[in-house]
Order: sequence, then structure tokens, then C-alpha cells
Amino acid sequence: MAARPSTAEPARDTSVSAGDQVILRADRSHRLARRRRAGGWWTFAAFLAPSLVLLAVTRIVPLISSVAWSLDSRGGGFGAYREVLSSSAFQGSLRTTLLFNLVLNPVQIALSLVLALVLAQQIPAAGVWRAAVLAPIAAPQVVSVIVWGVWLRPSGGLINSFLAVFGLAPQPFLTSPYQAIWCLGLIASWIGVGYWMVFLIAGIREVPDELLEAAALDGASWLRQQISIVVPLIRRQLAFVLVADTVANFLLFVPVQVLTQGGPAQSTNLVMYEIYRQAYVFADQTTAAVETVILLVIMTAIVGLQFWLLQGRRE
Amino acid sequence: MSSLSAPRVTRVVFLVVGIVAALLAVAPLWWILVSSLRPSAEIFSTMAPLSWRTFVPTSVDFGNYAHILSSPTVRAIVNSIVVTAITVVVGLVVNSMAAFALAALNVRGRQVIFAVVVLSFMIPFDAVAIPLSTLTRQAGLANSFVALVLPGLGNGLAIFLLRQFFLGIPSELVEAARLDGARTWTIYWQVYLPMSGGALTGAGLILFIFQWQAYIWPLLVVSDPSKDMGAVALGRLFGQYGVDWGVVFAAAVLLTIVPVLIILGFQRFLVNSVSQGAIKG
Repeated sequence: MAARPSTAEPARDTSVSAGDQVILRADRSHRLARRRRAGGWWTFAAFLAPSLVLLAVTRIVPLISSVAWSLDSRGGGFGAYREVLSSSAFQGSLRTTLLFNLVLNPVQIALSLVLALVLAQQIPAAGVWRAAVLAPIAAPQVVSVIVWGVWLRPSGGLINSFLAVFGLAPQPFLTSPYQAIWCLGLIASWIGVGYWMVFLIAGIREVPDELLEAAALDGASWLRQQISIVVPLIRRQLAFVLVADTVANFLLFVPVQVLTQGGPAQSTNLVMYEIYRQAYVFADQTTAAVETVILLVIMTAIVGLQFWLLQGRRE
Repeated sequence: MSSLSAPRVTRVVFLVVGIVAALLAVAPLWWILVSSLRPSAEIFSTMAPLSWRTFVPTSVDFGNYAHILSSPTVRAIVNSIVVTAITVVVGLVVNSMAAFALAALNVRGRQVIFAVVVLSFMIPFDAVAIPLSTLTRQAGLANSFVALVLPGLGNGLAIFLLRQFFLGIPSELVEAARLDGARTWTIYWQVYLPMSGGALTGAGLILFIFQWQAYIWPLLVVSDPSKDMGAVALGRLFGQYGVDWGVVFAAAVLLTIVPVLIILGFQRFLVNSVSQGAIKG
């Protein structure tokens, strides 16, 4: 959740790199290049070493350990995988997670695209509305989750009070096996939509005015311009948002842990929480490792597929 | 974006959509602030029949904040500040060193190494947090500040951002320093870093937000309440039976106000460093 500053700063021109030496300085830089190469590798390695160590410790080692633990016990080989894949708890968790993503990701991206298109327009005080939509980013997730948890209380909660104004019956929300998961979806969207919007607005800003003016002269309506000019031109940003949103929703954890603990009736047992439960409630390291590996494989496959689809259409 | 293309009626619709979205985004945050200034009982009594009093405080009471100062939650908030500050300072050094190597040192295979580093950091940390917590406990590092800081230090996005900026620093400057006999470390520390205030601030904000938001990792590696981070302590407080709601909302406000102030404060610094850079350049 941290890429905002990168969009604030325009991408630098990478072509002006160390390679562009002025010809006049050719012989000087030649001498330099030789000196740089002598011992260059060691200096390079020394500067990079702390990051590489951190990379190994916080990403690669736990990844390899998970694979090792998942293959280690229970008859060796893929025995534990067979067990996990046939367990109804994991199947249910996987089904919930996939359905959640299938419904929620398109909704969140559509919402952030509409908001981005609208708030990139010249409307009065656009900056104020944009800043307000961004506000949820500043709050830690757990704060947002707690407010919504209180608002969604079945009795005396603010949302039910709001429904009552329109004469609607109070809803069970987080206490209903049918509504709870979509309440979590609502919370995740409230947290995320403004964030994704920022990336799309950055893309929209780069669309040249002349293109839209030309289209307007040809009589294209505003909506038409957005659909046929702006949206295709921000495909790169849309692809990034789609992938990042998918990853975020696959790994959703805080609202489940704080509000529902996977319930009622396992209806919100998203896969991250299922892994947490295996590791920390049942102390079953092998099952947790198997589930971690499966989660990573599925996530990689889906992200790869999304990239492939978006690349394919360009040609 | 040209405003000519949208007719007046459409623009009114835009304005309405913008205002509604802004209100929906701000209302829950505003409500926490208002609730933190109310006695606990009043928080729920003003919510049940919806009225203007739900969102407007009739009296302001700082009792919840006085309460929190004498509760263990304040310790957790201080822990968050300490851990995040260490993460940002150490993380900036580590990431900018890597970015410097990848931008300014000419070594064969640099591009490949850059791609490998950035791609590996794209493995989302949360996905491997659970196995890493097991390893951390086996290494005897549970409940340690080292364990809390570690995952927040290395950040692929920060490296990427800093490298992009470093690539824009003219190589003539480095040459001049080298001809003066400067060592590589001096070039990094005295030429590159002082020129990169804006990029370092951006990278620092990335590191800050990651660590301040951290939830699953501190939840897993800390069992000693005196080492709790703010976010996790708030989650625990919320889950308690017979919880003091006023304290929950006061803690929530404190945990939100810190990032808001830092983001606002550093935005100004960001602008300053950019304009200073323009004068010097």
C-alpha cells in the first residue's frame, strides 16, 4: 500500500544514463572505465549486499521453507497435498476466495475507473474531492475495519439506522453467513478504491488534450471520448491496478481476523485466514505450508494470465 | 483534460458524484474523531436513531484521551513510532545503496540483477509472512525489535524509485568527483544522497506506510504485550469482552493522525527539496 509518491513524481528520462558520454571526453572516460572495472564488481556487490540479504531472508528463504515443509512429512512426496486438496475446509476456503475475487475485483476497478474519470475533470474544487477520496489510505487498515465493524452491528449499528430512515428492515450483516463476506468486500472496497484511483488519474493526466479536442470536433460525446480514447490509453495503469488489486484481495486478512474469524459457518474463511488458522490455531505446520504453496501458485497463475491477456490484446 | 468536451449538465453530474464519493470516504473517519471525543455510552446512543447528532458532537470531552495515556495502548503506539522510525532510516540507507549500485556503477549484468531484485521483491510479503514467522521463532527472534523491523527494510518499489532518480544525475558529476580521487562511498554519500532529497522523501514515505500499516507480521511474531505494535494492540482491544469504546476510538484517532501529519508534513518538505534542487542545479 505504498506507491503513491511514485505517481507524484513524473517518470525520469532513463536515456540520460552513464552510457552517454560526450565524445570530447572520450579518452578521459576510457581511462575511468578501466579504473571502474578494476574492483568494480566487489564495490557493486558490497553496495547491493544488504538488500540481497534482506531479499533472501524475507522472501526467498520462507518461500523455499514452505515448499520443503509441504513435501517433508506425511508419507513424503505429495501426500500432504492430496490431503489438503481433498479437505472440505480448504476447498471451501478456496471457493470463497475465488468467488470473492471474481465479483469484487471487477467492481472495485470499475468504481475506481469511474471516479478517476470524473475527478480528473475540471469540476469546482476537484482537488478537495480527490483528497477526500484518498483519505482512507492514511488510516491503518485495522482502524477502517473497526469503524465498519461498529457501523455494521445488527442492532444499533449506523447502517441499520440508515436503512431504518427508508423504512427498511434491519439486516444481520456480519452475523449472516450470506451477507458477511460481502460486508468484508464493502470494507475492502472502501479502503482500496481511492488508492487505485490515484494510479488511474496519473494515467489520465498523460492523455494529450489535442486527442480529445479532435474527437470533440468530430462530434464525439464525452462518454464516447472516455471509452474510445482515454481508457485504451491508460491500459498500462489499468493492468497494474488489476494485478495489484487481485493480489491485495487474495491476501485479505485484517477484516477477517478482526471481525469474523472466518465465520459465521466458515463463510468468510478466506485463504489467508485459513493458513493462519492452520499454523496458529491447529499448529499444523505442514498443512499451512501446503496451503501457502497452493496460494502462491494460484496467485502467480492468475497474475500471469492477466498479464498475458492484456499483452495479447495489444497486438 | 479539456472541460469543453463535457456539457454543463454533465459537469453538474460530475460534481455531484465527486461530492458523494468524498463524503462516503470521509464520513467513517470523521465519525471516529467525533466518537473519540464522546463518553462511551453516548457513542452508541447517538448511532441508533440516525440524526444530526450522529456526526456532530454536542460537547467535547477529552476523557478518552486522558484514559489512553494511562493504558498499555500508549506503549504500543510508542512502539509503532520507534519501529517505524528505525525502519525508515535504516531502510533508506539500504535501499539507496542498492539503487546507487544499480544506477551508477557500470558492471556487466547490471540490468539482469536489477530485474531479479525488483521481481523478487514483488513476491508479496504477507504471502510468506506465516512461514517466515515460524523460522523467526526457531531462530529465537520472536518478540524482538529486530524481527519487527526486518521485513520493512528492503523494498523493491523504493529501490526502483531511487534508481530512476539516480539515473537522472549527470555522469559528468561523478567523473569530476572521481578525478578528484573520491572513493565510490564518498560519491554515493556526498554527491548522490544530498541531491536526492525529493526521491528519498518519496521512498521514505513508502517505507513508513508499509511499516505503520503492518498487521499480520507483528501479530505473528509478538506475543509479549509490551512489544505490541499500535495496529495490533488496537485489534486486540477491539476483540476484548467489555471493551472501553472511548479508548478504542481515541487509539484509532492517534494511529490515524500520525500518518496524516507525516504525509502532510513531508509533502511540504518534498516541494521544498524540489525547489532547492532547482536553484542549485
